[in-house]
Amino acid sequence: MATNGFRVPPRVSPIDRLGRDIDPAVLVAAEEVYDRALEHGVRLLGDPAVVVDTLEQVAAAVSRLVTTQASRPDDPCPIKNLPGYIFRSFVRQINRLKRKQVVLVNGNGDGEASQPRWADPSGAFEIKILVDECLAVCDRVARDMFWRRVQGFSWDEIGKTHGLSGHAAQERFRHALRRAQARLGNGTRSGVIHEAAHRIEKLEPGT
Amino acid sequence: MSRNKRRDIDENKFFGFAKSYLSEAFPNPQRIGCPPEGELIRMAEHPSEQDEEISDHLTGCSPCFNRYMQILAKLRTEPI
Repeated sequence: MATNGFRVPPRVSPIDRLGRDIDPAVLVAAEEVYDRALEHGVRLLGDPAVVVDTLEQVAAAVSRLVTTQASRPDDPCPIKNLPGYIFRSFVRQINRLKRKQVVLVNGNGDGEASQPRWADPSGAFEIKILVDECLAVCDRVARDMFWRRVQGFSWDEIGKTHGLSGHAAQERFRHALRRAQARLGNGTRSGVIHEAAHRIEKLEPGT
Repeated sequence: MSRNKRRDIDENKFFGFAKSYLSEAFPNPQRIGCPPEGELIRMAEHPSEQDEEISDHLTGCSPCFNRYMQILAKLRTEPI
């Protein structure tokens, strides 16, 4: 259901708990997915406050990406479906929190979940965004390389599939990764994406 | 430990990370928009003919992603 113009009072704060601004367009998109996100998040985590906070943090992270894109009007891969993009990012973050919650519950003698580290800027979320962004900017060939590498194919095997050498295949994929890095690099808070992408870029051809 | 070894671990971490969350993050229990299995097999066997819609679908459907990984694994051990 569209909520253009906020016919209902906005439920997502324009600033997340870390004090980061949320872009107005992202805010509208976040409102659009709010009900779905709340239902899904509460089902997994139980606490609506944590769920809404997570949605706001995701919206703030996406806002940075949108801002980066806005400064590059020639960006060949703009976000086409902002609500969908936000929801997918939200689901990933919620799942990550759920996994942490399970670990914490298992680790506590009293069986009560401790405060989830949902404000944890450890970078895992940002690496996920990097993966997501990488998939978004990948062309057909690079994405196929991604699938096969995820499954454990060597670069030589991947190259053979596409009539390339292993090194050429890796270079092709690196290019997509660099584009993802370029789209995200300026907007990241901790620089983890820079670091992760930099490390991946330096990988030597697998055999 | 050599630098090369360290880089290998980084790569494994990146792709391992991608695999773990793509395989779990999108349950899609009602299998909305899932392509027929034959299409996944065709995409694995003939990547140059792949349908971008199906490839897009894999980025948001864990059951299909997992099935596709199984198909690729089988293809790797039993090439056509």
